[in-house]
Amino acid sequence: MSINRKQIISAMSRIEVSGNDDGLIPGFNVFVNMMPAKFWNSFAERLTRRVPPDMLEAAEFLLVNAAHECGYHTGYGIITSEEWKAVVEPMIEKAPEDVLHGAFAVFTAWGWAKSEIIELVPGQKMVVRAYDYYEADVVSYGASTKPCAYLIRGIAAAFMDLAYGGQYDPTGKTGLRTFQCVQTKGIECGDEYGEFVITRATA
Amino acid sequence: MTQYKKTELMLDKAFDAQSCRHLIAGNTTVLHCHHYTALYTQLAMDCSMLDAKALLAECSEDAWEEFLHGYYRTHNITSVRDRISLAEQTYAAAGLGRMRVTCAGPESGEVTLEHSHVDSGWIKKWGQHSGAVNYIGVGFINAMFAAVFDRPVRTFVATETQSIVSGAPCSRFTVAVR
Repeated sequence: MSINRKQIISAMSRIEVSGNDDGLIPGFNVFVNMMPAKFWNSFAERLTRRVPPDMLEAAEFLLVNAAHECGYHTGYGIITSEEWKAVVEPMIEKAPEDVLHGAFAVFTAWGWAKSEIIELVPGQKMVVRAYDYYEADVVSYGASTKPCAYLIRGIAAAFMDLAYGGQYDPTGKTGLRTFQCVQTKGIECGDEYGEFVITRATA
Repeated sequence: MTQYKKTELMLDKAFDAQSCRHLIAGNTTVLHCHHYTALYTQLAMDCSMLDAKALLAECSEDAWEEFLHGYYRTHNITSVRDRISLAEQTYAAAGLGRMRVTCAGPESGEVTLEHSHVDSGWIKKWGQHSGAVNYIGVGFINAMFAAVFDRPVRTFVATETQSIVSGAPCSRFTVAVR
């Protein structure tokens, strides 16, 4: 693998992001926002703890789906951006596998999760580990029985969509949701790291 | 005529190389896109059994009140005028839009959004919508009034009376004590 994670994280973590004169942050083909992680965590946790048990799966699906669509569209914006072309593209020898490794370095640099791919079966399966992620902050003591890294699940599946799901579709009607992700370990559950297994979607 | 010098927002930004987290004024902060905000908003609108629209606003209120209160305390910002100006600048720096507080008191207020991330993002993703969608903005306004007037969260409630997402040139909110 030719991807230099350390170099990418160093460069991409320094990108200055701030609102323009309209108070908006247009970039990577989307409007970006920059909010306290506490906001996102609070909503996901309060929602999933308050819904009736028979509605939990549906609520979690929608939280993952939000990240899945975000990861698909913003992920495409990132891998076609000038910043990507300058920093990551020169390192790519084998696509799309190196693109995936580079994408997780950017994912780390942007503060979503300190994560990396530990197994990749091209076109079929990917296993990701996250050693620090803000979603785990919902647990300050003990271990939860409910994994809650909905963002990582969605983004990881989206990155596989972009790599192996066919041509990018800005409408999201094709290409999106060709992969699914299951969280098998979580820092919030008492594990040393979060682990995520991404495979072809079955539904 | 009294000259007033605007207090500039000074955000202490840092990247923790060990945890790979971005911190602004000591708060873990993350970048997200309009797809994410639009889908969280849609989820809140669909989940009526929990009144998740109010839940989304409350989560925004809690997060932003902590942020603004912490900023005022750290920088010893005591005047209402400075606090409001800094909150408006915070809203813009976060990419949430251009906010103007047109009046504010310990009982009520009026706020205008000339640009709005949530509204513009919704329009970009799905087109116009017949009703208000900016529950994140409502939460920010509630938090701002609480922090500005040193009151606890849930003291104020903002109501959106016109919306960019519905075709209005700007969004307007009235604020009252609950």
